[in-house]
Amino acid sequence: MAPIRLLELLILLAVLAGFGGLLLRRNLFLKVLSMDVMGSAVVALFVLLAARSGLRSPILPRSGELLSGDYADPIPQAVILTAIVIGLSIQALLLVVITQMARIDPSLNAASFEATDPP
Amino acid sequence: MTPSWMSPDSLLIAWLLVPYLAAFLAVLLPSLSHALVVGCCGATAWVGAEALITGTTRPLQLLGEFGVPLSLEPLAGWFVLLNGLVCLAVWIEARRQGWDRTGWMLLLVLLGSLNTSFLTTDLISLYVALEVVGITAFLLILKGNSANALWIALRYLLIGNTTMAIYLIGAGLVYAQAGSFAFTALAQLPPGAPLVLVLVGLLTKAGVFLNGLWLPRTHAEAPAEVSALLSGVVVGGGALPLLRLEQLNTAIGELLLPIALASAVLGLIYALAVTDAKRLLAWSTLAQMGLVLLAPAAGGLMAFSHGVAKSGLFLTARQWPSRSLQTWRQQPLPAPLLLTLLVGSCSIAGLAPLLGYAAKKQLESAVPPVITTALVVLSVGSVAVYCRLCRAPLAAASNPEEASGALPWGAWLLMLPLVVGCVLLLAEVQRGWLVSLVLLGLGLVVDQLLERRRQQVSHGLPSLDRLPDLVGGLGLVGAGLLLSIGAELG
Repeated sequence: MAPIRLLELLILLAVLAGFGGLLLRRNLFLKVLSMDVMGSAVVALFVLLAARSGLRSPILPRSGELLSGDYADPIPQAVILTAIVIGLSIQALLLVVITQMARIDPSLNAASFEATDPP
Repeated sequence: MTPSWMSPDSLLIAWLLVPYLAAFLAVLLPSLSHALVVGCCGATAWVGAEALITGTTRPLQLLGEFGVPLSLEPLAGWFVLLNGLVCLAVWIEARRQGWDRTGWMLLLVLLGSLNTSFLTTDLISLYVALEVVGITAFLLILKGNSANALWIALRYLLIGNTTMAIYLIGAGLVYAQAGSFAFTALAQLPPGAPLVLVLVGLLTKAGVFLNGLWLPRTHAEAPAEVSALLSGVVVGGGALPLLRLEQLNTAIGELLLPIALASAVLGLIYALAVTDAKRLLAWSTLAQMGLVLLAPAAGGLMAFSHGVAKSGLFLTARQWPSRSLQTWRQQPLPAPLLLTLLVGSCSIAGLAPLLGYAAKKQLESAVPPVITTALVVLSVGSVAVYCRLCRAPLAAASNPEEASGALPWGAWLLMLPLVVGCVLLLAEVQRGWLVSLVLLGLGLVVDQLLERRRQQVSHGLPSLDRLPDLVGGLGLVGAGLLLSIGAELG
């Protein structure tokens, strides 16, 4: 198996693990962490996509000469920076809310917050 | 000669960026906040109306080849106009509720990020815009300030971010296959996993079918002004990109058709069964978003007529004596409020002569004949849903001074386009009297039959919106889409 395929497979497994955790974990804190596992897998996917054309950082040397063409693709890397920042801020917001909710149920069992009234 | 900064393109970019700047200013200088909100909302409504009146498509490419492609066409114009009007109406109502400067800041950021999401035509800019919309909506829901609000907001952001992670995987795969993040690149790819992942993300944001199961409780539990924003425009942030994709490739429209219809049916069944008036409006949003996605040719007008009417109805919620539909017949409402409820309800139910009727007509002419038959059945159902809201008796006229203080100006602003729209589309509307009367009669009969059943049967429909159900819904719809693509490929 080509190494890039193996890495793709690992990323897919990480996404599925995150999704499974979100579905199966009862603790809210662990649910949020599972979501973060998914987010990290997405970041890894974009880094892997960028590395298909080469591994050298896409930065011109001071002399300005272009080295042989094994540069990494700068576009997915640039794009995923934004997603990392957004992911971090959402994670922070969720954790703030969870600390508030821990006052209601310190065990943070997600089922205890669900409303019981009809739909 | 006009200077370069006055060119239409620069003005459009300035219009996109000003709400963010205004949001900061509104916090620093609270005395300016009202002027800033009104200015930004007015400009937004103006830009949307201009795009609709001129009927032209304005593409705009920022920062060169790898930059941000934007496009303002009549389809986007409907959503932009809706955004401006709803935010303005919410400002009118929220001023009475004494919103502070953080409230105005959030409203301006929401306005700006929704505008960005309506104009952008590449996957990554859309991702950023939708995440900003999501975070702002989350903070607005938290204004509800109860323990339940914490849970509802957490659920909203958790599901929203998970689904956007799925969407990003799709976007990454599109780039790997097509070398671009543009919508056109996605639409030209043969249908497959990248498309499905992007669709799962957008369907969740638009609140459609199983992906939208988070919607009813979220929209019903938020404060009235926030519900109006969420149900009126925020769902449009997911719906417009879906309509754009359908426009670019009809195969995507065919793929989404069963989901859209299923959403309309699911929303209708629950709206007929619930006993809470806000919950009824929220389930009806889920149904209407399905109808919006049926055809891109009619989607803009459908989303607009639904958005203004639904926001207007939600804005009146603070003045209802109670939210329970079981006691709705016993609680008299003052005349201005009842009138608002009637106009909004009739428009969403698609009765002539209001704008909702014109939207429904446009939709019927844009879909295949089989679907048209289904639409007629669905509209009988929606008449039956909205009958329930209009059953309140009229209150005796109270002290006029007291009454004038409580006039629902915000809701009236939103009802205005529904009435004005029917004057503009008079020729179309004129033929609809008879059909509307028949639909109204049938809807009333269905309502009476169901009302008897509701009193006899105490157990309700299953609750579908626990957190595992929401996550499972994402998985189910994604797997279903993949299977249907696989079946088509053979």
